[in-house]
Amino acid sequence: MNNNKMRFLYKKIRNYGLTLALAVVASVFPACKDFLDRDPQGEYTEDTYPYPQGAGPYDQFLFAVYSELRDFDVHSLSFIAVTSIRSDDADKGSTPSDGGSNAIDMDNFPVTVNNGYANAMWEGYYNLITRTNIAIDQIQNNEAIEASPEVKVQSEAEARFMRAYAYFMLVRTYGRVPLITEVFDDPAAQSNVPQNNPAEIYAQIENDLQFAAANLPASWDPLFIGRATSGAANGMLAKVYLTQRKWSQALGAANMVIMSGQYDLSTPYDRIFREEGENSRESVFEVQATASRTFPETNGVQYAPIQGVRGAGVWNLGWGWNTPSAALAAAYEPGDPRRARTILFTSTTTEANEGLTIYGEKTPLGLPNPRYNHKVYTNPARRTAIGSQGGWWMNVRILRYADVVLMYAEAANEMGQTQEALDKLEMVRARARNGNPDILPPVTTASQTELREAIRRERRVELGMEHDRFFDLVRWGIAREALHAAGKTNFNENRDVLLPIPQNQIDISRGVLTQNPGY
Amino acid sequence: MKNYLLLVLCMFSFQVLFAQENISIRGTVTDASNGQPLIGAGVQVKGTTSGGQTDIDGNYTIENVPSNATLVVRYIGYLDQEIPVNNRAVINIALEVSASELEQVVVIGYGTQRKRDLTGSITSVGGEEIAKQPNLNPLSSLQGKVAGLTVVNSGQAGASPTIRIRGVNSTNNTNPLYVVDGIFQTNIDYLNPADIESMEVLRDPSSIAIFGLQGGNGVIVVTTKRAARGETRVNFQSTVGVQRVQKKIDVTDAAGFRQLYDQQLSNLGAAPFDYTNYTGNTNWQDLIFRDALITTNNLSISNSGEKTTTMVSLGYNNQEGVLKYDKHERFILRLNQEIRVTDKIKVGADLNGFHYNQQPAAANLNNALWAAPIVPVQTDATTYYAMPSFQRAQVGNPIATLNRNTGNVIDKGYRIVGSVFAEINFLNDFTFRSAGYANLGYNSIRRYNPLPFTELIVGENGQPNETFFNPLVRTSVGQEQAENRRFQQDHTLTYSKTINEKHFVTALAGFTTLFTADSRIVGNRQDTLLNIPRNPSFWYLDIVDQSTPVLTNEGRGNESALMSYFGRINYAYNDRYLLNLTIRRDASSNIAPNNRAGTFGSVGLGWVMSDEAFFENIKGIDFLKLRASWGTVGSALGIRNNIFRPGVTIANRAVFGDNVNTSIAPAYVPDPNLRWEVVRGIDLGLEMRSFNNRLTSEIVFYDRTTKDIITDLRLPGTAGDFTYTTNLGEISNKGVEISLAWSDNIGSDFFYSFAPNVSYNKNKVESIGPSFDFSILGNGGINRTITGESIGHFFGYRQTGIYQTAADLDNRASWPNSLPGDIAYEDVNGDGEITPADRVNLGSPFPTWNFGGAFSAGYKAFDFMVDVQGVAGNKIYTQRRTANFAALNYETNRLNAWTGPGTTNIEPILDNTRGNNYLMSSYFLEPGDYFRFRNVQVGYTFRPTGASAIGIKQLRLSISGQNIATFSRTSGYTPEAPLENPISSGADNGIYPLPAVYSFGVNATF
Repeated sequence: MNNNKMRFLYKKIRNYGLTLALAVVASVFPACKDFLDRDPQGEYTEDTYPYPQGAGPYDQFLFAVYSELRDFDVHSLSFIAVTSIRSDDADKGSTPSDGGSNAIDMDNFPVTVNNGYANAMWEGYYNLITRTNIAIDQIQNNEAIEASPEVKVQSEAEARFMRAYAYFMLVRTYGRVPLITEVFDDPAAQSNVPQNNPAEIYAQIENDLQFAAANLPASWDPLFIGRATSGAANGMLAKVYLTQRKWSQALGAANMVIMSGQYDLSTPYDRIFREEGENSRESVFEVQATASRTFPETNGVQYAPIQGVRGAGVWNLGWGWNTPSAALAAAYEPGDPRRARTILFTSTTTEANEGLTIYGEKTPLGLPNPRYNHKVYTNPARRTAIGSQGGWWMNVRILRYADVVLMYAEAANEMGQTQEALDKLEMVRARARNGNPDILPPVTTASQTELREAIRRERRVELGMEHDRFFDLVRWGIAREALHAAGKTNFNENRDVLLPIPQNQIDISRGVLTQNPGY
Repeated sequence: MKNYLLLVLCMFSFQVLFAQENISIRGTVTDASNGQPLIGAGVQVKGTTSGGQTDIDGNYTIENVPSNATLVVRYIGYLDQEIPVNNRAVINIALEVSASELEQVVVIGYGTQRKRDLTGSITSVGGEEIAKQPNLNPLSSLQGKVAGLTVVNSGQAGASPTIRIRGVNSTNNTNPLYVVDGIFQTNIDYLNPADIESMEVLRDPSSIAIFGLQGGNGVIVVTTKRAARGETRVNFQSTVGVQRVQKKIDVTDAAGFRQLYDQQLSNLGAAPFDYTNYTGNTNWQDLIFRDALITTNNLSISNSGEKTTTMVSLGYNNQEGVLKYDKHERFILRLNQEIRVTDKIKVGADLNGFHYNQQPAAANLNNALWAAPIVPVQTDATTYYAMPSFQRAQVGNPIATLNRNTGNVIDKGYRIVGSVFAEINFLNDFTFRSAGYANLGYNSIRRYNPLPFTELIVGENGQPNETFFNPLVRTSVGQEQAENRRFQQDHTLTYSKTINEKHFVTALAGFTTLFTADSRIVGNRQDTLLNIPRNPSFWYLDIVDQSTPVLTNEGRGNESALMSYFGRINYAYNDRYLLNLTIRRDASSNIAPNNRAGTFGSVGLGWVMSDEAFFENIKGIDFLKLRASWGTVGSALGIRNNIFRPGVTIANRAVFGDNVNTSIAPAYVPDPNLRWEVVRGIDLGLEMRSFNNRLTSEIVFYDRTTKDIITDLRLPGTAGDFTYTTNLGEISNKGVEISLAWSDNIGSDFFYSFAPNVSYNKNKVESIGPSFDFSILGNGGINRTITGESIGHFFGYRQTGIYQTAADLDNRASWPNSLPGDIAYEDVNGDGEITPADRVNLGSPFPTWNFGGAFSAGYKAFDFMVDVQGVAGNKIYTQRRTANFAALNYETNRLNAWTGPGTTNIEPILDNTRGNNYLMSSYFLEPGDYFRFRNVQVGYTFRPTGASAIGIKQLRLSISGQNIATFSRTSGYTPEAPLENPISSGADNGIYPLPAVYSFGVNATF
């Protein structure tokens, strides 16, 4: 090869190199747009989600709301602390230092502004509200989902029932809270909404519940047992009215439940709180929970486990929190079988008869607490089958028929319909009597005051450990005397009827939220 | 196809042609000042890529040199020399020491640049400094070496350190970008420290602008070793060391515990605890720690011929953790090959294979800190004591946990990182380079959940002891597999020319894409009938029959892509006036299509004052450069894939009766307008060499602001707990970095150098949101981020003492429910009572000062090195002390708890139900300042000659101690609290101890 040829070859190589490089670059350019469009892998978005059509197109959004009911911050620790440990029904339980100041302060006040349970409850219920608002927003605005007007209305009713329930918990717990009923365009601004007055909150709750009562079905297919019904909405509405002392409206709402024909008092008191008593004719609304060996916890709620017997080994059934108080134990009339069904008295060396569970097991000696909540006691056979001792499968009874009947009685008495009130009171006592004529004699007084006392006493024992006691005491205006009598002497009625607005939330809002009086 | 064959054929003959005209040259390169041979000096034929490097004796040989060619000889720290060959066969060359090591070339991304021409802040750390230390991760070795760099090391086996460059400039991802031989990486775990040639830390916007959206937090460029030209070299490096926990957390023993728990129960008004049957005095911490082995090994073989250079390297590193039985083992194989097809065409390929075996720690640190010391460990191999009733529900027996968990996880990972490139030089001044990179990763984990041990439940209050075996727990197995892919292509065209000896221009234009994807699948099955044996051979899903109802499985994937164009011009006039212009246009799949692409750029200017005529009269200063740069860079590291889309979650299940239904809820709140963060900053620097080049000084001022910060907000309060990722607010970091280096020798046998560096950074959140004002709380409100103060600062009350008496309570501001023995807080607003309004900024978790220093000395064959480093100005939150959910073992500071008036002004009463004492306050903060002897090393180097050499050219033996002494005022295992999350950093929840490492090292070259 001579030099000329070499130069030629060199040039050729150079050209090839350039061409090759240009070709590489050029080949990439047309594909640019596609290259940068990357779909989510294995995840839906709102645009790609294959919304089910047909009967329940919004169910998926509503189910997200139901799922939130089982959340730890909605119906577990903070719920128990705020609604039960605060009341004269229960004490914190467990060992003295367990839970620290967060728990002790709930037991005997004051709850400090940094209390973790107060903050968790706030976040949990606002989460629930956000999900209801999202569901309503979808029903009203998502044109991708086709549904008949009837389906839309019913689905909206279901979401609004749950929103009302959440605000009802919040307004009774914190008083003034921000009222949020829509999905904000700028989500960050949502943390900076000022509080509304309780009257405004109650107006929204009533509005939502009236809508729900009018548009929800009276019952559901067994596949969907436990979904919100018109009975649940009316029952809840009765409680909302009662809380505001709107007696005739309360009576009317309770009557709607009674007249619905869906409920009765045929379920024995003993059975109501067993696993097999879930969703019985007694049940108006329950938080649904289940468990299996595969999912011993995921589909359940950490409600019973927090209150389970705090023993060792096979008696390690839970944390042993929310123990029935001595005051509650003393509140029952002689021989009332509901006492032993509500309170699990643990074994002691002196009282030989006590310490038996409803399943006949004898509790061990030396447990840290004398009493546990018997209403969350799980079936030992179920524990073995599921392979879990905690009892995540126990439903949370939110509203049951006896509660509605007693609300009716209370409203009737306040309206001077004494016989109506006596009749309804007797219905509840008769069931409790369970055929034993020697106990729980019928109440016969004609005095409104005496009957009021009788109904209040009945509410306490019938609904013991069922989370209404603190709110009842507050609405009756007798919280101070009751709590002081139960030894909770730090209670100050000018401060402790409401929890503090969590300092965390005030901090996040940078002062837009303001603190409750006394804190 | 035919054409290509022809092409290959032609190339071959082309080479043969040259060989006929050329000669072979050999010689020695020495230091002109002392005649010592220079090892590894580059000898190149000018205008070509052929050449070689000197060997251990300074000798070189180059074949096929045109007899009329010119040789260029280069050596770092020496002046380049050009020598015409003039038909000589032996050319010995003596190099003059260069005016400065500024002649050094640094890697700047898609190219290199002389350090003296830089207009930005880039610090280079040599591979030797990195490999000298017994670390598995090369990044660990950077601690204290670079001004402006914060490195938080962990003692956990195989853990990667947290790296922050110039403070925290985002509320989200603040990790730097790693660029390893061109490929963008999020970590460099797969590299063996011994394989690293150099690491460059790029800190200012003008240096990082070329890296686009990935580089906004700073860039660490890693260059791995290549074969030295001209010879075959075998190198073996090895360190073996033992790690030991230097400092344990002081907790009470059995007697101390009894004393304090009695005191607490009496304060609570509760009955005393019955200790009758609790006879143990167990130091749980002693039982979970061990002295652990660490070893790093590397064998590399390199060969360089006329046309090819090859390097093969094998590594084996193993770190056992000091926490039982944590272990991490790495096997690393590297192969790189470069072929010079012609003078103008170069192709090459790299292949890195990496494999790890990981065994997680089976013991739990907090478990050991919390467990009551009154409990003995076990009665026999399968029966362990249960904890007392006051903590049984929350705290397990730490050794039962350890023994039950040991060996139950088999975690293996594989990673292949490879690249190919071709480079063509044409028209003399142009170079076109195309490179393709791939990173393939694969992890496989198998898990086993064994039966529990029998518990011995100690009888309390007169009850007998009983044993309990939980029959409800069943054995289960799990399998997890994950893969990830990363593909990158770079195409660059570089023009480099010196015009009239005055104008030096390098211009670069390029195009690159990056695609990443991963997927993962996990399954678990529990056997409800059989007990799966504790033998890894059985730990596969199929060991459990499918019909068993207990089965979970999950799987997911991700994809993202990035595409960019970039260009850069470096221009130097007369070596004196420097200009750097960079532009990059990036588009990311993670950003909505309507604002997907953005353009960023920077300008850098430099002035080498010492080259000016007027400077000749100034004595004592050998080199002086002023530089300034400004840049605007995007940062999109914090954006998760597809977050602009309205993603949904179907993970929440609605239950009706026993029927379980899926649901749909937003997975987060999408922001369709989400964009990258914009990082903007200026950098002013002064570089100086003085005292005959013995002192090097560099001082840099920077002011950097990040706007439109991608904030992952967990929407608080009334918005539900959805995460909302949006552009929010502005954060500034301003600082100074000072680096000095003094090196000198005394006589010809003793040299020494000292190189300290210090950096200061001031962080300020300029705003968090243009239209509204709220605070971002981290760690449950412990850390707060608000406009006007430093990011994520600790927020709480200031302790002023302890309320001693009721009278004291009357005199001082207090809570309505404060009692004697409680912490007294400062009434900041002076309203006479303590309220949330009295909370203040209690300090930052992030150090404002980082400092380090390297002292080294050599005497004859001995060398000696001391590295120190530390931080100052930060606080650490002793969160582990706030646990009050049960009665836990006490740290010994509680022995001084308040028991009555006058007993203490620091430690509150023992009563975990007094919430006021658990409020966030200065009581739970410790100063985070520390000073550490990071490395102390003594080495001796043999250079055997003659027959005794047995092929060894050089052998260095060393002993070293790492982390041998740390001076700090913290009570935890280590003063390095995690700084991973910008808005909730600095909490000590029982940080894994950073052990001292005593090691022996060998470095032999054959």
